[in-house]
Amino acid sequence: MRGAATAREVGSRLRGAEPLNAVLHWSQELLDAEAVRVDAMPEAGPLAAMPIALKDNIVTVEQPTTCGSRILEGYVSPYNATAVQRLRAAGALVAAKANMDEFAMGSSTEHSAFGRVRHPLDPDRVPGGSSGGSAALVAAGVVPAALGSETGGSVRQPASFCGVVGVKPSYGRVSRFGLVAFGSSLDCISVFGRTVADAAQVLSAISGPDPLDATTVDRPPMQAPGPLPDLRGLRIGLPREYFPDDLHPGVAAALRRTEDAIRELGGELCEVSLPHSMFAVPTYYIVAPAEAAANLARYDGVRYGARRIGAEGDIRSLYRATRGHGFGPEVQRRILVGTYVLSAGYYDAYYSKAQQTRALIADDFRRAFASGIDLLLTPTTPTPAFRAGEKTDDPVAMYLADIFVSAISLAGLPALSIPVGRSEGLPVGAQLIAPAFEEERMLAAAGALERVIPADGEVR
Amino acid sequence: MSIGSDQVVHVAKLAELAVREEDLDRLVSQLNRIVDYVAQLDQVPADRPAEPFLPGPRQVVLREDVPGPVPLARPPAELAPEFAEGFFLVPRQGAMDE
Repeated sequence: MRGAATAREVGSRLRGAEPLNAVLHWSQELLDAEAVRVDAMPEAGPLAAMPIALKDNIVTVEQPTTCGSRILEGYVSPYNATAVQRLRAAGALVAAKANMDEFAMGSSTEHSAFGRVRHPLDPDRVPGGSSGGSAALVAAGVVPAALGSETGGSVRQPASFCGVVGVKPSYGRVSRFGLVAFGSSLDCISVFGRTVADAAQVLSAISGPDPLDATTVDRPPMQAPGPLPDLRGLRIGLPREYFPDDLHPGVAAALRRTEDAIRELGGELCEVSLPHSMFAVPTYYIVAPAEAAANLARYDGVRYGARRIGAEGDIRSLYRATRGHGFGPEVQRRILVGTYVLSAGYYDAYYSKAQQTRALIADDFRRAFASGIDLLLTPTTPTPAFRAGEKTDDPVAMYLADIFVSAISLAGLPALSIPVGRSEGLPVGAQLIAPAFEEERMLAAAGALERVIPADGEVR
Repeated sequence: MSIGSDQVVHVAKLAELAVREEDLDRLVSQLNRIVDYVAQLDQVPADRPAEPFLPGPRQVVLREDVPGPVPLARPPAELAPEFAEGFFLVPRQGAMDE
């Protein structure tokens, strides 16, 4: 009856966490039904009644899927995401659907149509985004793990802000079937965990090829590794472009502590260069809006969710009124930018140039790993969690919160953030980056670091 | 390269997005800020060729094209206000009122 006890406990924690505004849909009735299903399984499965929250852009048949948007209000998917089916088959309980930046566009979870998510340690600050609801629920101890999604850092960045583990797999490792599309060449279902082991178990359960997603890679599912006893024999690169002189002092101190821990565990550190990473954010903010403008064309008031009749009463007027009313300001901005960079006369200046730069960014990583580097270490974010409202008036200032995470998404690589200390009480994350499909090496090394670095310790 | 309000209105039309008059100035200013920022890609040196980046598997393998039951949790009739003889019924074009 493990599931039943978990369902009661999680229900109570979800009620207690209401001030965070991290949840969009949950009910005790659905949790109890999940418990009955789990308790009836002949074997407990590797996730043995683990309660897991899902970002609200991962579809389930029992609950609405809104993507944090008014335009999908009332939409219930007729099918489940592959990742959800795999979680359930592994014995997990789907606990709740988590709040998020609308259509996963944002870095603070202030761009949800259903209100902003509060940071669990300081309600005046943001939890990061766009998977801020999932991150906050794990950080607040409501669930041990949650699914988020990454297009350009939307799990690692909030993991860093909230002091939890966030793992983005290689592109193609986890099926995107049932993940609402934003930037199809970038989107990855990704995982939050209280610990590296929890995140690794969940990633292992959802990974592997899927006939319903032709972009999954034909490799066996990832195995969850245990922590390495030490880091002997590992060469860990420090890309100099990721350690600017004006890095926040608390973040810089936490990274120095992480470097010390790597040396103490026998790992070798060496400086490397990824010269095109400095162009990652502008590249991302051309590629992702271009793909988003195409993917979000389907929300027209006819096929999904809310509908608004336009003044002229014809079909185009219905499209425009529905979309103008249903999409929030950040989504509208990105659709406009995406449409602009794809339009005749601007395509070569913006989109083609961004694709060329994306190739150079990916090539930098390939060269670094080919030179004998096993993993890369960087800060996850340039600062700890910022205050709500601090960046909402300047979209570019918000985009720069992703300066250390977006290049990895453009290159399709796996990366994770682990908490490595606190600066003035706020969590700081360190990012490990691995070659494509080397998640196991990255997780095993992160497990070793997690054992020696006090995540809650103040750094100076 | 600067974007004017006429251009924003044109792009919004291409994107099938109604933009309110009172939001136009703010949108023009924000889009210019974004486009000015991404224009720094002009500084990317053009001296190093790189293979175009392709995410995912080198060769996309499609599943066998064998008809089977549609894996929906609920039948199509439950997905729309009206459904008859295998079709979704929608309002007639031009017949929509305020």
